[in-house]
Amino acid sequence: MPDDLKKRVKELIVRQLKLEMDPSSIADEAPLFGDADGGLGLDSIDALELVLGVEKEFGIKVQDEEVGVKAFASVNALCDFVREKAA
Amino acid sequence: MNSPNSSARTRVALVTGASRGIGRAIGERLAADGFHAVLTYRADAAGAETAAAAVREAGGSAEAVKADVTSAADIEALADRLDREREGVDVLVNNAAVLKNGLFALMPDASWNLVIDTALGGTYRMTKAVMRGMLRRRWGRIVNISSLAAFSGSAGQTNYSAAKGALVAFTKSLAAEVGAFGVTVNAVAPGFIDTEMISFLTKEVREDFLKRVPVRRFGCPEDIAPFVSFLCTEGAGYLTGQTIRIDGGFVG
Repeated sequence: MPDDLKKRVKELIVRQLKLEMDPSSIADEAPLFGDADGGLGLDSIDALELVLGVEKEFGIKVQDEEVGVKAFASVNALCDFVREKAA
Repeated sequence: MNSPNSSARTRVALVTGASRGIGRAIGERLAADGFHAVLTYRADAAGAETAAAAVREAGGSAEAVKADVTSAADIEALADRLDREREGVDVLVNNAAVLKNGLFALMPDASWNLVIDTALGGTYRMTKAVMRGMLRRRWGRIVNISSLAAFSGSAGQTNYSAAKGALVAFTKSLAAEVGAFGVTVNAVAPGFIDTEMISFLTKEVREDFLKRVPVRRFGCPEDIAPFVSFLCTEGAGYLTGQTIRIDGGFVG
């Protein structure tokens, strides 16, 4: 079940941001944003897209930036966030 | 422009402070353009209802809604209802503003706060409430009504000038954030428009002012509404982050 959520999140990222990559190639702990090595290098516009995508896919509203920054740090962080909000 | 006759939903245009003056003219014009016009008012129910009725009589779609832009609760309730009933707001005209002129050195805190909170705070609250829907639908038009006061620096209007000037900067910054989503953000800065807001000016002040207006007359709401109408069309999709002064060429 946890793997299923990870898969959904990775597919959401690729689909919402129109990335040309295989969802399974996104490392669970890779930093999504910023210039960190091994990260996806997403920017603030991508962040907005992800907020919309999470809203659409999981019905969860990200209301403020503080929550968003933590929740979107990596695939694992996003999965934790979704699980927490769905509980 | 809008497509009220196709199977696509009718787009919604929300104008704050639309019971009279510039706001009302803009609301009526957007309704004529095919939007469902939501005309908000704080206290002047009669004015707003009359405007909405006039729109309906002309074959358009409009509603008058009591909503104080300084009230977070009012704003949230309105945005939620429009989300539920009409999928949200497509065009937002942040027009609501009040004047509390006076010399700065003698200005009560309440005068400063109210003016800032209405024009600038109201813009913040209302725009935030409708933005998510615009981003989701990947189409939006935000038009902030600034003022000549943002540029001309006249005594007795430090609060109003601060608020209206802030809107110019806010417009540029927000435009940069949401351009990728098909949402444009612009401001219109009217000069002296002959509405109730400037009815207190003396004849001397009026004559004095006109000397600095090449077009040699005061403006009327119909000088402002057509440009706002244009900003809300498909054709204006590449125009964003701008403040356009409509002030008869005011020199000063």
